[in-house]
Amino acid sequence: MSTIIFQLMINGLLVGGIYALISIGLCLIFGVLEIVNFAHGEFLMLSMYATYWLFHFYGLDPYLSLLIVIPLFFFVGLAIQRIIFQPILEAPLLSQIFAAVGLSVVLQNAALLFWKADYRTVKTAYSATVVNIGNLMVSFPRLIAFCVALGVIIALFIFLKTTYTGKAIRALAQERRASMLMGINIYRTYQFAFGIGIACAGVAGTVLMPIYYTFPTVGALFVLTAFVVVVLGGYNSLTGALIGGLIIGIVESFSGFFISPHLKEAIYFVIFILILLFKPTGLFGRKEKA
Amino acid sequence: MRLTRREITNKLFHPKTYVPIILLVLLLAVPLLIKNPFYQDLLVMIFFYATLSSAWNLVGGFAGQISLGHTAFFGIGAYTSTLLYLNLGLSPWLGMLAGTGLAVAVGIGIGSPCFRLKSHFFALSTIAFAEVLRLLASYWRGLTKGGVGLLIPFQPRVRNFMFRGKLPYIYIALALMLAVALVSHMIKRSRLGFYLVGLREDQDAAESLGVNTSRCKLLALIISVFFTALGGTFYAQYLLFIDPDTVFSLALSIDIALFSIIGGVGTVVGPIIGSFILTPMDVLLRGWLGPIYAGLNFIIYGSVLIIAVIFFPWGIMRWLGKKYELIVSRLPGNKLSSDVEEVSLSPEVLKVPDPAKDKPVIFEVKGLTKHFGGLAAVKNVDFQIRQGEILGLIGPNGAGKTTIFNLVSGFLSPDSGEVKFKGERITALKPPHKICIRRMGRTFQLVKPFNNMTVLENVMVGAFSRIRERRKVEQRAREMLNLVDLSKYRDFLAVNLTIADRKKLELCRALATEPELLLLDEVVAGLNPKETEEIIELIRKVSRQGITLFVIEHVMKAIMSLSDRIIVLNYGEKIAEGAPMEISKNRKVIDAYLGEEYVT
Repeated sequence: MSTIIFQLMINGLLVGGIYALISIGLCLIFGVLEIVNFAHGEFLMLSMYATYWLFHFYGLDPYLSLLIVIPLFFFVGLAIQRIIFQPILEAPLLSQIFAAVGLSVVLQNAALLFWKADYRTVKTAYSATVVNIGNLMVSFPRLIAFCVALGVIIALFIFLKTTYTGKAIRALAQERRASMLMGINIYRTYQFAFGIGIACAGVAGTVLMPIYYTFPTVGALFVLTAFVVVVLGGYNSLTGALIGGLIIGIVESFSGFFISPHLKEAIYFVIFILILLFKPTGLFGRKEKA
Repeated sequence: MRLTRREITNKLFHPKTYVPIILLVLLLAVPLLIKNPFYQDLLVMIFFYATLSSAWNLVGGFAGQISLGHTAFFGIGAYTSTLLYLNLGLSPWLGMLAGTGLAVAVGIGIGSPCFRLKSHFFALSTIAFAEVLRLLASYWRGLTKGGVGLLIPFQPRVRNFMFRGKLPYIYIALALMLAVALVSHMIKRSRLGFYLVGLREDQDAAESLGVNTSRCKLLALIISVFFTALGGTFYAQYLLFIDPDTVFSLALSIDIALFSIIGGVGTVVGPIIGSFILTPMDVLLRGWLGPIYAGLNFIIYGSVLIIAVIFFPWGIMRWLGKKYELIVSRLPGNKLSSDVEEVSLSPEVLKVPDPAKDKPVIFEVKGLTKHFGGLAAVKNVDFQIRQGEILGLIGPNGAGKTTIFNLVSGFLSPDSGEVKFKGERITALKPPHKICIRRMGRTFQLVKPFNNMTVLENVMVGAFSRIRERRKVEQRAREMLNLVDLSKYRDFLAVNLTIADRKKLELCRALATEPELLLLDEVVAGLNPKETEEIIELIRKVSRQGITLFVIEHVMKAIMSLSDRIIVLNYGEKIAEGAPMEISKNRKVIDAYLGEEYVT
């Protein structure tokens, strides 16, 4: 029994790392722009396709394709922020929500139009490799995905704490007008933050590809989980998103085993609603800005 | 007041009356002329989506609470009536009632807690809620057959809510649409309508004007859910097939909202116009592009949505509404008659009891304390206000002046201490509308006009707290606007006013709630000397009407000349209290706030 518990723990943590990475992108964008990127999952989906096609046509190893995916998605993020979200930073809530929702509809269906609804996956030499630790079994690509996710998250934290741009992003998340007065180019910083957020989704998509399959609506599946994570962790706390991601991963793995894999989503949505109702600031969130 | 026959004919032949009647007759006649099943189906869909979107609009448009989970209620309606029919043979007409009942009950259960969430989080929680229901419906195979869906065998009988031919469906859908439009129209013109738009524009300001915002939102949700669930049953009976992935889908929730956004959120006919434009477009696009280019129709759809919310967030109605009025004004029969006669200013606009000669204490604060984290913002403050007097509150920035206002007007709860108004303890009264109802009004330091309402409508929201009847409310609001000299901007949107006029509007709106005690938070800050003069004169006018005033101000000239008494706050503590002349000579006050220059 204890082996099963440990096995479930590990499975949960490994998935949780990926959830954390997706959620951190979402959280960064929300913290800075105060816009919920409803299209976040679609960027994840696009990066899965990008990884797939790079593998399919050029035989590029999924992990190597990170070198292309990261800069590509960063710049896509910049552009999307510039074109769609910049004009509505001060717009009513309705505009902000539905611009993102509209973007999600467009991207999802663009994928459907170009690549059809087929499920696609990459088969690599290591896809089915399992690492044995004691009597626990750990899937190799899952382990890599977890390590990459954690690495990116750590790098992001260091970036935000030490570089000027990173500090500017954090300042902007605190107070828009004061940041402007301190000489921060807020529009460039917004674009940067959005670009980084999208690049995080890009990395997550790429490392997911050897484990999972892609299809046009795959993003919706993950983005709903990411919403739960962000709310659980506290929507303005990146640490919260990291820990929230791990928690949701473990919850999913345990509820899938002990209750039913079909109901795992229902269970974390219930958690989501409970958190929103009883502790809307989440586990690690600050109080709302005055 | 009874209308004479002449007045009735005049009204009837006024384009404002006959144009809608002609449109209605056309709507009723068109279904009879269409025989092609394809177009009949299109018509059903147009009416059906218009119904759902209008229902969504009550919550998402009027009240500005953006729901992305309305399919939850739609699905409950569809599943309840279908399951009752399939398993118990209950007529779907009755099942429809059961479905709406259940949906409304669920709506109240989920709505009252979720409405506490702000902005994006409300939208997120509604998505999650609909998603939970979808998963449950998929999982609970014993009851719902899960993802396979439920098929209703076609047995056409009126009792079974099934008909040969599409004509009955068209008229049922049309009736639903007209019903929800009528209800929207009535709400829009009623107190609830004003309150919903008010709380959408600024929740705190609405509360300060006596609006019970939670109750209003919940009411709007109940009505909205009712029609949404009706739509669910209709959908099930029309298509005779339901499955979780369709009736609980996020895509449908988005569609429903989309029609309103394109047509015009918060308007009565916007969602209908939206459906008349988008439903045919959708059906045609799907027909042309669907088989070959799956997804292209949705790409166009999504792009329209993005462009619409970025460039035309108010939808077609902003433009169409003006056109319509222009056309109506040129049609025959449009005699110049205003609905509300111009009113001359009645001398006693503000009916408040005469100030008693002995001036009893009407407001009393004892030991008021509030901490923010470790910082004591207000420390053990006591004071009293006598009826009819003007009490000034001064002190350096951060001394806790606005905190005191927030504490006594119900926007913050004190850590300890007590506030008494007219002998009643009001400390525990929350939310703030309860305090307004007890005749204490307030303004905000950073003015909070309802930006997208006209100046007149802003004041009407305040006046509705005392008067029910719309005509009288409007008349009262006009009188109030005369009083503050804003009548010339009556029909302007509040967003277009200058700062000085916004401050006047804020004052006027608070006065419309007929307060006995009015809290004014820096009403002259940032105004030029002439504007300041005007507002001070206005405050004097208000005071002469017998209204007790409690005023925060930084402009010394203003506060010294206005106040009967002044209290001075520093670091959350009261350091002095007395007549203006005493205060200006008080050593502590000079050191803490006024400075040496003021004395010399």
